[in-house]
Amino acid sequence: MPAPVIELRNVRKSFISPGGETVAVLDIDSFSVEPGEQCALEGQSGSGKSTLLNVVSGIMRPDSGSVFIDGRDIARVDEASRDRVRADCLGLVFQQFNLLPGFTAIENVLVAMSFGSSRPDRGRAASLLAAVGLGHRLDHKPAELSVGQQQRVAVARSLANRPRVVLADEPTASIDTAHQQQVIELLRETCRAEGAALLVVTHDRSVAEQFPRRIRLEDFNRAARSHDTQARPA
Amino acid sequence: MTLIGIAWRNIRQRLLTSILTALSLALGVALVVATLVTGGIVNKAFESGSGLGYNMIVGAKGSPLQLVLNSVYFISRPIENVSWAFYQEFLPAASRPDGVDGKYAASTATAVPICMGDYFRGHRVVGTNAAFFGRLRRGDGQPFVFAAGTNFSDDDFFGGILGAGVAANLGLKVGDAFAPTHGADDGAVHDPFKVVGILARTDTPIDRGVFVNMEGFYLQDGHAKPLSEGETAGPSVAAHPSGHIPLPYAQREVTAILLETASLPGLPAELTAMGLRTAINEGRDGQAALPVAEIRQLLDLFVRPLELLLLLVTALVVLVSTIGILVSMVGSSLERSRDVAVMRALGARRSQVLTTVLIEAVLLAVGGGLAGWLLGHLLVGAIGPLITTNAGVSASVFSASPAAEALLVPFLIILAIAAALLPAIAAYRTDVAKWLQGPG
Repeated sequence: MPAPVIELRNVRKSFISPGGETVAVLDIDSFSVEPGEQCALEGQSGSGKSTLLNVVSGIMRPDSGSVFIDGRDIARVDEASRDRVRADCLGLVFQQFNLLPGFTAIENVLVAMSFGSSRPDRGRAASLLAAVGLGHRLDHKPAELSVGQQQRVAVARSLANRPRVVLADEPTASIDTAHQQQVIELLRETCRAEGAALLVVTHDRSVAEQFPRRIRLEDFNRAARSHDTQARPA
Repeated sequence: MTLIGIAWRNIRQRLLTSILTALSLALGVALVVATLVTGGIVNKAFESGSGLGYNMIVGAKGSPLQLVLNSVYFISRPIENVSWAFYQEFLPAASRPDGVDGKYAASTATAVPICMGDYFRGHRVVGTNAAFFGRLRRGDGQPFVFAAGTNFSDDDFFGGILGAGVAANLGLKVGDAFAPTHGADDGAVHDPFKVVGILARTDTPIDRGVFVNMEGFYLQDGHAKPLSEGETAGPSVAAHPSGHIPLPYAQREVTAILLETASLPGLPAELTAMGLRTAINEGRDGQAALPVAEIRQLLDLFVRPLELLLLLVTALVVLVSTIGILVSMVGSSLERSRDVAVMRALGARRSQVLTTVLIEAVLLAVGGGLAGWLLGHLLVGAIGPLITTNAGVSASVFSASPAAEALLVPFLIILAIAAALLPAIAAYRTDVAKWLQGPG
């Protein structure tokens, strides 16, 4: 059986509140996502969803525990190595899309490629955009695209470096209800086509219900159960 | 996409700010380039006068620098005149009416008299003899070359020669007549002279001179030295076959004598020149100045410090412009922080975002610098005709000060990196989680 693409073991992460108090945000004994798996991680606002994504993506280091990405423990490597793992193994889709405003659609995809191990491939960038229905908008800047089109560019960008897993943080939060299902379908289809696992973090039950595997963060994060979520940093 | 590509797109994203920043830098660099190039031209203008085939100038007592500036560069006014008899002291027996060697003849290889005080449409008129273009040399040590016509002969009292710049400016050609004016452009109009030769360009002050036969010069109103009471005109000068009666020697004066010193038997040329100079300066008739030494002193004491000061001021302009890069980058740091956070989230390493910001600054500096370099040369090209007319040195868009200009680009790159270091470090330290956090 292949190793999980994401595996967390005994991960703890806490912050110091403005009042000087230590607030635990993550307290997870075990959590994993298998290769090609598509799952939704539900959690209310302040439940530590973003912190979990930051830890999984290597942007933050846990206080203790192990975070395996494609079999490699990124909690025990330096920041540059975590950056490299993020560029090569992970694709990120943000709630606000976070496209670079000065770059065209295809350039936004190419930028992501330029930080990975393989050389930027304009042909692949164009075909990814074509796969999300933007083959005719390659040279348009984000401001010239609709909100839905911007999210499609973000989806294409997340797949730029053939990641092992795509992490999507509230990918439908900025999209009207009518288009939410389309975005989720697009994410699931493109990830399936690229052979990438998909972990969508959402507070929206209707979004989570579209996934074969649904997990509530509160179910396996003890910190989310034991603290007042209002006091926690995001 | 390379880091340079990313930096270039960042510049494009803030196009107006980037253009204004580069433009301000370009103006600073243009000033530096113009200062460097014109400084080089000024030096060339002065140094070109040091190779004219004579090493000493004799004139009336006063400022040796004024004597040099007036005689070689046609700048400033003549101090006074020296007597014809004094001039004769530099001539060998064969050239003197009395058939006796002059007092300084043994130390003199060539003595060419010049008389000044007249103008022709803004240009200095120099009365001299045929030896000026026959014996002296132009700036590069070569004999004078005529683009048209020939040198005047001493018998051609009203022959004139035009410097290349004068002929070009005034559109005169061989055979044309021109009438100098006395003392100033609006002074009394003298008899006309005829252009017999036009010199090829020498890139020296000679290019802006009008040279006439001094015999004709002497015959103009106001050019004869008034005789004092009881003084006679001295031995009469035989009438010339042309019908002109030369001015008597007693009524003649010269403004300066251009000397090529000889070498006395057993003495090196330098010692002969030093001895001659000392002898002349100790006498009462005039002074001897060494043009090379005077010009060197002028350059060292005045021109170079002024040039340095100008360069310092313009370098400050560049520095201020470079600070503009810093201001521009710090000004856009909020926008940049979000972009940097996105790039970091996509896998960019801290060193890559730092490098991207530095590349952005270097691109702005090099772009602005090259535009400024071009602008500086265009500026020199635009004022080139003015410089050529006034300094007698060719100045064009291609005039350059290669050694100093070659330092500009590395200098700008270092300045740009220094200016961008602060925003680059800020980018390096960008907190990705803070900038990308959602409500989770």
